[in-house]
Amino acid sequence: MRAVIKDGIGIFHPQGFLDGASSNAILSIDDIEATVAHNADMILVSLKKVIFFNRNGLDSFVKMFQKVRTSNHSTVGFCDYDTKKYDAIMRFYKEDIGFSLFKSQEIATLFSASYKNQNKNILLYNDDKSQRAAMAIELHDNGHNPIITQTLEEFNEKAHAKNAYDIIITDTFLGQMGQKVATRVTGNAIIYTVSSFLDAEIGNTFNIAYHNNSLNVGFRLFIFDAYKVVSMNIHALNFFSKLSSSGAEYNATICFVGMSWDKTPKEFQETLEDSGIMFFEQMDDILQDKELLKELGASSAANIKDKRVINKLIVTELPNFVEATVTTIEMMTNSTAAKEAAKIDKIAIKDSEGQIASSIGFYGDIDGMVILVFPTGIAKKACELLISEETDDTELILDTLAELVNIVGGKVKTLLADQNISVDITLPRTYPDINALLEIAQEKKGVQVDLSFGNDKFLFFLTR
Amino acid sequence: MITNEQIDSYIKKIPPAPKALRETLKLLNAEDLVKAARAAQEDKALSSYLKVLVNKPIYGFRTEVREVSQIFGILGVSRSQQAVYSYMATLLSPSKWVLFKLNRVLFYNLQADLSINWQKILLHLDIKDRDILSSISLLPASIIVSEALFCEKKKDIDILRSVNPIDLNTILQRLCGIDLFDICEMIAHTWEMPQSISEIILASSGLRPASDQQINQLGKWMHLLLFYTLSQPKYIEAELNDFIDFQIDYVEDIYKDFSILMEIS
Repeated sequence: MRAVIKDGIGIFHPQGFLDGASSNAILSIDDIEATVAHNADMILVSLKKVIFFNRNGLDSFVKMFQKVRTSNHSTVGFCDYDTKKYDAIMRFYKEDIGFSLFKSQEIATLFSASYKNQNKNILLYNDDKSQRAAMAIELHDNGHNPIITQTLEEFNEKAHAKNAYDIIITDTFLGQMGQKVATRVTGNAIIYTVSSFLDAEIGNTFNIAYHNNSLNVGFRLFIFDAYKVVSMNIHALNFFSKLSSSGAEYNATICFVGMSWDKTPKEFQETLEDSGIMFFEQMDDILQDKELLKELGASSAANIKDKRVINKLIVTELPNFVEATVTTIEMMTNSTAAKEAAKIDKIAIKDSEGQIASSIGFYGDIDGMVILVFPTGIAKKACELLISEETDDTELILDTLAELVNIVGGKVKTLLADQNISVDITLPRTYPDINALLEIAQEKKGVQVDLSFGNDKFLFFLTR
Repeated sequence: MITNEQIDSYIKKIPPAPKALRETLKLLNAEDLVKAARAAQEDKALSSYLKVLVNKPIYGFRTEVREVSQIFGILGVSRSQQAVYSYMATLLSPSKWVLFKLNRVLFYNLQADLSINWQKILLHLDIKDRDILSSISLLPASIIVSEALFCEKKKDIDILRSVNPIDLNTILQRLCGIDLFDICEMIAHTWEMPQSISEIILASSGLRPASDQQINQLGKWMHLLLFYTLSQPKYIEAELNDFIDFQIDYVEDIYKDFSILMEIS
């Protein structure tokens, strides 16, 4: 079975009845490896559509989870269940739960460092005091505001308050959380979350291919969220020094935020600073300081415009990129999509009001980025197949647009593979307004193609 | 991806039931097993199908049953009618499966698994209606229709479902305003199947509860039976487990009874 991958979480959706035999057919190690290869840092099995499971059925998954944790350091577990199912799992595994349980996918995303929406007010209850504390710490570290209730009575009382909380967490259990270096994109910076003891293992848990690709597609600011780091040894020090040196040719900046030096030699900081790494106490010291962001290369493409120009190889493959986009739109809307005009230049958006955008990078034999710009209403129309209800929720529309551009990326990958060109794709990015897009793209030259489906027009831009 | 024109064209291509088959059903309806067997023998493919079907281990016959008259004699009128309808469903099945990892043998096994357990359910519910017994034979048509409509779109489906857990029925419904079960109903109409069969099949989608209470209950049992069957490893490996959405809330009130009947523990 294939997993659905979103926001760095790969979720398998079995249906019906799970026993030892069926579980083995649902999930294989190949399925998991394929999911991990798509940069999922959390692997979950949804129990939403499972009406029956027994211990044997879950055991097959749990054994697989252990293997995944050992080899990939991902967070693993189950999600989407009711209290009855939660109680059954707790009864099966009692004191020996090495995996996590998230009552819903929405709750799981709060614990994923790849999740981009922060500052959620979260009411939290668990009858185990250490679990309450562990969850609160994780949520706080991920940028949320957890409100812990100490007793069930207190929880019931607070839970009744209307609109007081964005999310309420119950029936959730944190097993061993992922040690993989989780990645998220905020504005024009890539944020990596590191924790615990940083040693030689960082070479295995850090996705160097993703980092190199991010450099290739134009990211210049990389922030290590190190609030949860206890200490760092000489192997990790060497790793970060080398990472910084190798990024220098791209004019990239690496920052550490929240690093405590209580248990790490202070000289390490000096060595890292010598290699160009900067240190900040708070994430907001960087992200809220526009001047600093500009200085660090996160809001300007000036550093790269001379180095990363659209080249002949990419232009030669333009028909594949356009075809991937056109066929995706046709697949999603059942209408005929058409190419109207094309030119090589900087991106030009006539009326930026009410437009949203999404982009996806690709890297490998060739590298670059596809950007799609839509009027919001037309984006909604293009994504109608994936949206279950009538909605004006911009967040939902942007999320679905990310899914659409992910499909385009998948198709590009397939079309190029047919010509023996091997590429991988990055996580999609979305831009709620055109200014956010222009911050990274306005100085880039690329191929702009005006496309339409039905009477609706949108813009395709291919750049590096 | 799939257009209404493609669906119309598919429906137009559904062949009417062959003459020998119609004659067999007519005679079964008149409860004349001897003449029905004779009519069935006229259709070589039908008689061959019946032999393969009833000799499957799940039917539990100790010795091989070779003659159609023998088969009808053992099965009786109701189960013979169900077997003939199951054969009709196979008339639509492709020679080569692309979307699902199925083959002729596995598809026949699926039909047999569903049929035997449906009989068990109807016995439990004390329902002896012949048409209701036969209604299960149309359920696998939803799989055949999916294969026919989506087989050339397998890559698209795979990419789409890697970013969103959308099922084939929902894709069809959102793109064309018609779903797999509507098409099954049209097939039933083309083959002049009794109305009750269509109604149960529509309810078994789990999305459109029937107003008739008995039909609705049967729809629930059929929906749950389908997912009980599709949870077997061989059908999970055939990628059938999630081709449509399991409506867990729809079957909640009959689940306990079902689990006792099927001895699930």
